Amino acid sequence: MSLKENNSEKNLSGTGDLGSLSRQQLKELEAREKNGFQKALDWIIMILPVICGIISILEYKFIPDGITNRNPQTYLGALIVLIAAYIIYFLVAWIKKMRGNLPCIEKLRYRAPLFSALFLLLGGYDYLTLKTGILTQPFVPCLNAVLNIAWEDKAYLINCTLHTLRLLLLGYFSGVIVGLITGIACGYFEKVRYWINPIIKFLGPIPTPTWIPIIMVVASSLFKGAIFVIALGSWFAVTVASMTGISNVDKSYFEAARTLGASQRQLVFNVAIPHAMPSILQGCTQAMSSACVAITVAEMMGVKAGLGWYMNWAKSWAAYDKMFAALFVICIIFTVVTKVLDLIKRRLLRWQNGVVK
Amino acid sequence: MEEKKVTLKLDNVSKSFAKIENDEVTHALNEVDLTLHSGEFVSLVGPSGCGKSTILRLIAGLIVPTTGTVSVDGKPVTKPSPERGMVFQKPTLFPWLTVEKNIAFSLRMQGKLKGNEDRVHRMLDVIGLDAFKDDYPDQLSGGMAQRVALVRSLINEPDILLLDEPLGALDAFTRMNMQDEILKIWYEKKQLAIMVTHDVDEAIYMGTRVLVMDANPGRIVEDIHIDQTYPRDRSSASFVEYRNRILNRLHFGGNS
Repeated sequence: MSLKENNSEKNLSGTGDLGSLSRQQLKELEAREKNGFQKALDWIIMILPVICGIISILEYKFIPDGITNRNPQTYLGALIVLIAAYIIYFLVAWIKKMRGNLPCIEKLRYRAPLFSALFLLLGGYDYLTLKTGILTQPFVPCLNAVLNIAWEDKAYLINCTLHTLRLLLLGYFSGVIVGLITGIACGYFEKVRYWINPIIKFLGPIPTPTWIPIIMVVASSLFKGAIFVIALGSWFAVTVASMTGISNVDKSYFEAARTLGASQRQLVFNVAIPHAMPSILQGCTQAMSSACVAITVAEMMGVKAGLGWYMNWAKSWAAYDKMFAALFVICIIFTVVTKVLDLIKRRLLRWQNGVVK
Repeated sequence: MEEKKVTLKLDNVSKSFAKIENDEVTHALNEVDLTLHSGEFVSLVGPSGCGKSTILRLIAGLIVPTTGTVSVDGKPVTKPSPERGMVFQKPTLFPWLTVEKNIAFSLRMQGKLKGNEDRVHRMLDVIGLDAFKDDYPDQLSGGMAQRVALVRSLINEPDILLLDEPLGALDAFTRMNMQDEILKIWYEKKQLAIMVTHDVDEAIYMGTRVLVMDANPGRIVEDIHIDQTYPRDRSSASFVEYRNRILNRLHFGGNS
């Protein structure tokens, strides 16, 4: 009898006419109709990046250069590629909208002001450097020079990039793996915590770069030394985060799992770790930023390869354009790495999506 | 399939807890003797601190008795087992698993999931939440979550079903619905069900037997068999009589 009534609970909230609504449709139903002015404004804002891009091109083409500008086509080409990329994005979103898929174009509308600002920023920077020299050349090189030198020196830059990436990933992952093991063991087993905790308390607060001069002296190879320093920083972040995560698991989950037949090992792997996952991943993100700092410092202070070293080396030859080129590459690498981590995190924590905004 | 008949015996069981802040020891349970059989639905009522949850946790094997033994068919209970399914007041569903995977958890832990997926679906059918199988527990209402928790332990077809105030956190309507649901599930298999509750009406409505407990030290003070057929009428004369008797025993029976 009552079992049938349960189904009615579902019917009322789930399978009626409103039941098949998607989040998007709901939003449309409840949204106030946009008036003509707002619609026009939306369109202008979405086209604005193209206009700003064209302004940047005009600025570059028609204001006379303050200094001699080699291969002026490079920057122009880059600008055109960026504008084209935006137009393609716009077209794709528009086609999707025509097919009834709105979120894509809403995202574009949301991002368009930022893209516009980016194009204006490029134009403004070009004006301040190449055109007027308010930012003194060649100390703050114009973008065309940076792009040119990056292209000319690409073989070496790629080499250095690979070296940096190898060092970063080796150090990061060895630190994270060991950190996961010690952190989880510390969180779960009182005895392990007894022995590891003092080490964490003692070594933890030391900023990673402090180790670098010592490693330079002690380590058999600088590469291995640098890996150690990067790993140490990551290890610390991950250990602390996963230890806290595991020891904060609600005891009632363990009890429930035990009455459901989970063994000791299963309690660790199927209850403690998944429950601590948000904290663990937080630690992994923190470890990445610590690793990024450590690697840059290590490369600037001793390791004879990699982007940090390249920057330092370029500086000592007064090759400021190369320095900036390396800076951009570093910026791109760290952004991509962080973004990838973020994607992994979202994927693993999708059960949290309803709770954590 | 013929249901397995079991006998649960608590033999002179005491349980004391040491307090954390000082050396004092509280006696949660004092020399309890109890014999229960399959087919019984036993309600434990009593004031807080009378050790009713402690009895349940001892039977589950989550804690060990200070003295005495808990045994099922003569075998002493030393650790938790899926044979003795437990439902807690909080649903304790694993928030990182979908409803379906929560229900399948126990089979997976025991390595029995392969070939038994139909059992998971049958459980979803029993509680009528098939449409929610891919949802995460945070998206469920309290009643739904507790239903999932119930079938999560029922999937093992436990000989003994331990219910630790499973309906305590639910609103009155959901609560009454779920009383009937639990009874229906129990009536089909007639396993031994033991339920802790604060609610005297609930204890009488559901139990074949009501054990009244008192605190300081925790003990069973009265063992009442409810001779009524299901479903029971909460307003019938004999129901009211049982209620008065129990309330009196709990020292709340001032006006009767």
